Amino acid sequence: VTALELAERALQAADGDEALALVQTERSGMARFAGSEVHQPTLIENEVVELQVARDGRVGIASGNRTDDEGLRELASRAREAADSAPAADDFPGLTPPSTPPAVEGFDEEAAALGAEEQARLAAAAIEASDLDLYGFFTSGVTGVAIAATTGLSVSQELTDVAVLALAAVEGASGYAEQTGWRAADVDPAGAARVAVDKASRTRGAAELEPGAYAAVLEAPAFAELLAYFSYDAFGALGVIEERSYSFDKLGQQVFDERFSLADDALDPRGLPKAFDFEGTPKQRVQLVEDGVLTGVVWDRASAKRAGDGHQTTGHAPPSSIRHWGPLPFALSVAGGEADSPDQLAEAVGDGIYVTRLHYLSVVDPREGIVTGMTRDGTFRIRGGKVADPLVNLRFTVSVPQLLAELPGLTREPVLVNQNAYYDERYPTGLLSPAIATARLDVTGTGSTPGI
Amino acid sequence: VRELSEQAVAAALGAGASYADARVVVRRAQVVGTRNGRVERLDDTETEGIGVRVLVRGAWGFACDRRLDAAGAEAAAARAVEFARAAPGGHRRELAPLEPAQGEFRTRLERDPLAVPVADKVALCLRAEEALLHEDVKVTAAVVRAQREHKVFASSEGAAFEQELVECGGGIDALAARDGVTQIRSYPSAHGGSSAQAGWEYVEGLGLEREAPRVGEQAAALLRADPCPSGITTVVIDAEQMELQVHESVGHPTELDRVYGTEAAYAGTSFLKPQDLGSLRYGSEHMNITADSTTPGGLGTFAFDDEGVAASREPVVREGILSGFLTSRETAARIGSGAGGSMRADSWSRMPLVRMTNLHLEPGEGSLEELIAGVDEGVFLQTNKSWSIDDKRLNFQFGTQVAWEIRDGRLGRMLRDATYTGQTPIFWGSLDGVAGPEEWRLHGLTNCGKGQPGQHAHVSHGTSPARFRNVQVGFKS
Repeated sequence: VTALELAERALQAADGDEALALVQTERSGMARFAGSEVHQPTLIENEVVELQVARDGRVGIASGNRTDDEGLRELASRAREAADSAPAADDFPGLTPPSTPPAVEGFDEEAAALGAEEQARLAAAAIEASDLDLYGFFTSGVTGVAIAATTGLSVSQELTDVAVLALAAVEGASGYAEQTGWRAADVDPAGAARVAVDKASRTRGAAELEPGAYAAVLEAPAFAELLAYFSYDAFGALGVIEERSYSFDKLGQQVFDERFSLADDALDPRGLPKAFDFEGTPKQRVQLVEDGVLTGVVWDRASAKRAGDGHQTTGHAPPSSIRHWGPLPFALSVAGGEADSPDQLAEAVGDGIYVTRLHYLSVVDPREGIVTGMTRDGTFRIRGGKVADPLVNLRFTVSVPQLLAELPGLTREPVLVNQNAYYDERYPTGLLSPAIATARLDVTGTGSTPGI
Repeated sequence: VRELSEQAVAAALGAGASYADARVVVRRAQVVGTRNGRVERLDDTETEGIGVRVLVRGAWGFACDRRLDAAGAEAAAARAVEFARAAPGGHRRELAPLEPAQGEFRTRLERDPLAVPVADKVALCLRAEEALLHEDVKVTAAVVRAQREHKVFASSEGAAFEQELVECGGGIDALAARDGVTQIRSYPSAHGGSSAQAGWEYVEGLGLEREAPRVGEQAAALLRADPCPSGITTVVIDAEQMELQVHESVGHPTELDRVYGTEAAYAGTSFLKPQDLGSLRYGSEHMNITADSTTPGGLGTFAFDDEGVAASREPVVREGILSGFLTSRETAARIGSGAGGSMRADSWSRMPLVRMTNLHLEPGEGSLEELIAGVDEGVFLQTNKSWSIDDKRLNFQFGTQVAWEIRDGRLGRMLRDATYTGQTPIFWGSLDGVAGPEEWRLHGLTNCGKGQPGQHAHVSHGTSPARFRNVQVGFKS
């Protein structure tokens, strides 16, 4: 039974004036390792049906993973009860009309065929390439998403994703590398491990650093994570409507360095392509920042209806479990610059700090775009334009707009950075980012040394 | 269902496992959320399946199947064994010895929260929201949740038990905005409120409607408050923020799997070493931390954890000295101390990990007012707003929704945008007072993340307000 067939069966079981069935399927394996041995190997097979029904203008949602006829009847009953218990929803935008989603890539037969033995073998390839203890995982999965609605909407997609995370670490030294993609050939576990080992070998003897404002180079994983935390508040329409977003009163203004352009583009085959969102709306590329000017935010049907000023969905509805966040940019893509490598960015910086990876970010003030967090697994001084002596992990508390206000350079080729922590149902997301040089990263404290 | 779990264990042993356990889990969860007077979430989720964990030649394997029938149980067992056989590494594992767990456990409750009509939940949220309204409040939100989890466990060592855990909770938020400033106030906690393992009487007891006018007014008042000045000063931290302080700077670093490095790639490790047990000074003599999976109402309360170890109450820090770790059977055997008891899995589709159960800061003496009275100059910090801590759990920075100036032992003006930062053992070393049992509250959070694939744990912390000297306050970029 395909995901779309299951969605159609759930729709037939539904009891409402209108209904929409969303099916998510997962077949995945993760060989997680620590100290160079697999210690948390997890194989998952699941299929989840979510049924949304509207009855007399009232809307309810139920979900479950019993997909036999009795399970679907019971699901329909819970969805009906939820709808009947709700007050009339005068802001309900209605269900998505039928449309033809764009053709996208994102499925690889070779990745889909990876089973437990191959997943373990690819984890072993990383482990064997490291002469330091290795921590991380290899994972691959096949995700199915299908939506059918009484409007005639009927869309489905199968996605594959593969990822390797390599942390080479011993007492007092650690280095990090990651690779992700939708093709099996997109990742080279041994190569990632070698990068992590090289990075780790340069972190021994890390020194402290006085707090202050420093010029900095952020490798793609570091910048991607910082940008993601900023963007969920800054580039979703709900935050603008509710006056809590950095973008609230700045759309159309030049607020960042003109070298900085940002889009949300789930159609880009360099990312993890998606054809439609969780309402079934076709995905659109949305330019968020053009040459430093804030140009747009992403929308879903609910936020567009609420704004009521002619806005249309851009295909950015999130899963129902996080609907209260509003529409989200899950496929951010930063335009590349002109530098060949992060080392060339270090030359542009001259004197500053070099950051590989960030840890435990938190938004301190969404309206001002202030984010705090730590660096880890490869923080260095830049001296004389060269990546030099290692530093302990640094606390930063930065205004992201200030950090983006002066960018001496970006690397030419963005790389795909994994954004999936694999909570709940698997839904691969990633961010295309170059490494960047910034004139200002505010270091506000020091923390632990690198390593275990 | 019990037969299914035993069938899975038998299948795993038949396929070559030296140890196997199986958990059948059926969970129903309901969330009702309203925002600005409209229903935003009205979700009813059910999920069920079986997870099988095996040891084959010292290597772990885990696989799961959503089908609760013989085919699903046997398929999960076979795949778990297959994955364990393929796992690279030189595996040697021992598990702390254990009497096979037997029995049943059910949450004590007066009113089943899933039996409360959804319409009543919607009405409660809307009433609470209405009471939050204020001229400058742009967003009002209320949420209530309920969950029932039925778990059946069997192991190849003869354990067989069944547990039904019921929890519920709720919270409200008011977000105010004016002239480029945005501020939020929440009750009883930020980030989705507070939950307990209890019946609907817990949600009714929160008094969401009663507290809402104060919450709305404070959100609006924060727009006109001065920013919290930077400096090194004395802080008194309310019980709710102390919940997160305990969670992040004591709970996670004392998880023994982190100490041994198995979370290094994601959540991080710990500044603690195994040899620190019994000797490391974690904080001042006022610091007493207890892990207690028997606490009535705790989200981490059970009869047995997810590998069959009986619930217990154990010291983690006693008078400032590290006295215990949170352990699994594997890590307990490795350190040669304890028997485990902290293994918990997010669902049938996840492998159990060392997690907090209920981790408490034991009360001291006196009232919150007495703590404040002992401060010449400082700030009183209330309700979490932002949180971050490094991968070894040393450097932390928290922001709170509101702060109050303290001068000459009395609360003064309201302050906004307060943050405080420190290094874990230095900060806890500056603890010079914890309020008494009358101020002690149990808080339940449902968003503790760890593991790959990711898992959310539901954890409770009992805390009283506490006072710390010489704390860096007020960093903002």
